[in-house]
Amino acid sequence: MKNKNAYIAIGIVCVVLATAITVQVRTMQGENSAVSQAFANSELKDSLLEWKERSDNAEVDLEKSVKRLEELRQTSTENGNSSEEKQNELKMYNQILGLTDVTGEGITMTVTDSAQTNTSIDMNNLIVHDSDLRSLVNELSNAGAEAISINNERIVNATAITCAGNVILINGNKVGTPFTIKAIGNQESLYGAITRAGGYTYGLRARSIQVDTRKSDNVQISKYTGALTFKYAQNDN
Amino acid sequence: MMIIAIIVGCVLGVVIGILTPTIPYTVSQYLAIAIVAALDSVFGGIASNIKKNFDMKVFISGFFVNAILAMLLTYLGEKLNVDIYLAAIIVFVGRMFNNLGIIRRYYLSKFSEKRKQNKK
Repeated sequence: MKNKNAYIAIGIVCVVLATAITVQVRTMQGENSAVSQAFANSELKDSLLEWKERSDNAEVDLEKSVKRLEELRQTSTENGNSSEEKQNELKMYNQILGLTDVTGEGITMTVTDSAQTNTSIDMNNLIVHDSDLRSLVNELSNAGAEAISINNERIVNATAITCAGNVILINGNKVGTPFTIKAIGNQESLYGAITRAGGYTYGLRARSIQVDTRKSDNVQISKYTGALTFKYAQNDN
Repeated sequence: MMIIAIIVGCVLGVVIGILTPTIPYTVSQYLAIAIVAALDSVFGGIASNIKKNFDMKVFISGFFVNAILAMLLTYLGEKLNVDIYLAAIIVFVGRMFNNLGIIRRYYLSKFSEKRKQNKK
């Protein structure tokens, strides 16, 4: 008889225990607890890896498609003068859009965060911001640059340079210090625009950011690898 | 018999738990520690039942006093900004493993005895 009571008591405690656990689990569902945060972090890491792989795959696919497109163009325009003209036209438009690798004279500059560790200076002044890059690109364009890239991210008409925490996003891709800015155009005018007294790099140097500008006769700038799409804008003619 | 009691209890508890409304987030901390205390009590009850020294008064009082003390420790820890409830969890879980060891040994010896008898 005593034994039976023990079973009943344990059973009752089990009822209480299971009730409490169920209520607790239901309460904690969707809550942002410290424990679930650790799990959420690893989940985020997993999905990040997955998306990275997808993005890589997509890039490979895109490259294949571009090659195929090129082949098709060549075969379709093999015969006839007018089609050759068309092909040249296409090439020119692609060059304008930044969809071709280009080479030419120009400048290469490296912009690096300040090496100073003096904490009494405002840290914000010591790092290269997205606005700095935008201003430099603007300066180069104004000096007649025909092609610009930052850390191999081609600047095209759809390019946005934005801040994303401790990195900068260009064309949606992360770039970080040191920034290598390449520009093709008239060497003298580009170099002059960048190094002129009172110019933008003057201000950067005053913030102890390292700027190294070099002229080069053979600047190679790779093409824009993203997709340029027009969904809302329609031709009027 | 024991297993039936535990299973019936758990099923009943889950049903009740689903029917009852959820509790506020701040209370859930105390409920969590109470759950650990209750788990400890269940394991303790089973172990003492096996050792044949089960005492209803000890079992019931242990269940309530342990849970209440653990919740009080959580409250105190919150006031002092020290995670005292961790101490309670360590003690409870340590005891749980102890009791589980007793239960395990009992059933293992029972199992091997049965095998011997079958061989004979």
